[in-house]
Amino acid sequence: MSAGNGPAPHVELQRVTKRYGAVTAISDLSLAVEKGSFTALLGPSGCGKSTLLRMIAGLEAITAGRCFIDGADVTDVPPAQRRIAMVFQSYALYPHMTVRQNIAFSLSIARAPRKIQEERTREAARILQLEPYLDRRPAELSGGQRQRVAIGRALVRKPEVFLFDEPLSNLDAKLRVQMRLELAKLHADLGTTMIYVTHDQTEAMTLADRIVVLDKGMISQVGSPLELYNRPDNKFVAAFIGSPSMNFFNVDVSSESGGAADVVLPGGRTTRVRLRGASAVAPPVELGVRPEHLVLVDPNDPACAFGGSVRIVEHLGNATLLYVDTPAGQLIVQGEGNLETKSGQPVGLTLSANHVHLFGASDATL
Amino acid sequence: MSAPVHASADLAAATGANRLARLRHFDLAGLVITLATLIVAALWAFPLYWGLVTTFKPEYLVVRPVVHLWPEHFTVENYVHALLETKIGLWYLNSLITSGAVTAIVVVMAASAGYAISQLNFPGRRIFWWMILASFMIPIQALIVNHFILMSQFRVINTLTGVVLPQLVAPVTVIIYKQFFDSVPKDFREAAVIDGANDFQLLFRIYLPMNWGITTALAIITFISAWNLFLWPFLAISSEDKMNITVGITQVHDAFGVQYARDLAVAMLAALPVAVVYLIFQRRVTQAIMLSAGIKG
Repeated sequence: MSAGNGPAPHVELQRVTKRYGAVTAISDLSLAVEKGSFTALLGPSGCGKSTLLRMIAGLEAITAGRCFIDGADVTDVPPAQRRIAMVFQSYALYPHMTVRQNIAFSLSIARAPRKIQEERTREAARILQLEPYLDRRPAELSGGQRQRVAIGRALVRKPEVFLFDEPLSNLDAKLRVQMRLELAKLHADLGTTMIYVTHDQTEAMTLADRIVVLDKGMISQVGSPLELYNRPDNKFVAAFIGSPSMNFFNVDVSSESGGAADVVLPGGRTTRVRLRGASAVAPPVELGVRPEHLVLVDPNDPACAFGGSVRIVEHLGNATLLYVDTPAGQLIVQGEGNLETKSGQPVGLTLSANHVHLFGASDATL
Repeated sequence: MSAPVHASADLAAATGANRLARLRHFDLAGLVITLATLIVAALWAFPLYWGLVTTFKPEYLVVRPVVHLWPEHFTVENYVHALLETKIGLWYLNSLITSGAVTAIVVVMAASAGYAISQLNFPGRRIFWWMILASFMIPIQALIVNHFILMSQFRVINTLTGVVLPQLVAPVTVIIYKQFFDSVPKDFREAAVIDGANDFQLLFRIYLPMNWGITTALAIITFISAWNLFLWPFLAISSEDKMNITVGITQVHDAFGVQYARDLAVAMLAALPVAVVYLIFQRRVTQAIMLSAGIKG
């Protein structure tokens, strides 16, 4: 993600800070986005992801730091001259204009010749399958069609960078999946740099090749979807990525040697966990394990890490979620879809040492 | 033979039951309210009717102490007089010019001011807003002497410009526009800013066209108010050629003094355009009244 020795970043934020009076929304944040990448800014509400996007767009003034697009310092450049296009969560389609006029609006403002306006509008409409709707007004379109018009409006500007601010939030679940695919296709076809703000980790995981996880105005971790999933840098990322969320419980570390630690689990059994982080192992230590990495076994199995009893069973069809009361507290276990476990049934759980994570006092991965 | 008798008895019973059901549904409260409304409406409409009927009476019938709800002798002489013997055409034109100018300028100025106060950040914005709110709290009658002195210093007394200028202070219109612009989601503005629109384009290509209904409603109500205005044009204009229709009515007299039927005929003609505008744009006018009523509380 950072510049390093690779190609020069296409969009770069250097130590940016954004303050609203006494409130700091973004704090000394640096970020580099490579040309042609699809980067998702992911985080919970209020983490500063939209503010960051709006600073790149030029809609929010940067309190401190610099913003570069394609090597040029655009910190004080007005939004229209940054060669960016933005798709808003609300779509922001002008209700009094037809789809054609909406798409061609930026060209008409720039006084582009009518022929060019018509050509580019038709081209965008063709790519987005909007040709039959060009003379309709936004009120006469479905949510998905409106979303496509908003993208079309961005498309005709032939921008260097596409910015998306939670563009699928207003769509129903089915349409969201469909539009997700269309966005992925669009990125594959255009190859333009796209920065995408979302609080939905599924959107980020499926669309982006790089995800920036934000927490309280700071970057928590940057990486590919699988890196974030498999090797979270801290407890926040571990908890935020993945659904259902990772299980956490307190453990004691009895010894540490050879890059691994012997961990005493609640209930007394010991397991050896490989250490990944640079932080020193000091109590309190928390162990994190994803629901799919807890395996149901017979309670009397010698490999069993905990015993417990099933409290609630949720059948999702493709998977079954079990809420199991254990000495470590209530843990979520994800099993196969056709699991025939009953509520109240005693079960044993094992955990794979390769798939557990240890977190220290500062929530950093150990 | 007995079968038809039974049938008719059944029919009678059924009709009786129907009548009972109808009686049960008889809405007494609704009837009383409707009657009361009709009486109030008749009371309201009677002067209008009386005025209209009077215009079709000869003057000697008007001044007779007997009340005739319908003219004994029907005449259009009063309208002929109003149209041929007075400067009503010129007064119409003056009214049209001044009301049209007031409407056009007020709408453009108020929309721009409302936009600036709602959307732009500039030093003194709050003070401007308070000034507009304060001016809204002072009735025009309280300022009429100041207006007169100011206009005479501008040397526009007894000109159409002098009639128009004081009417351009329209704080309610600014307030309505500001409230409307405040309610427009900021995404529209930001999307247009990214598309390269300047504030002028934002106002005239996005904000105003987004809801022409508000502008139409405000334009109609401004036009009607300007058309009906009497006090200021009456003070500002002294020559008959520059009078508007409301002031012109006062000039309809001859050697015999005031002629009520003729005066009323001119008044009817004066009110006609407003009535027509109202009838055509009834819904918009109601909307405008609701908008300004909301502001006036």
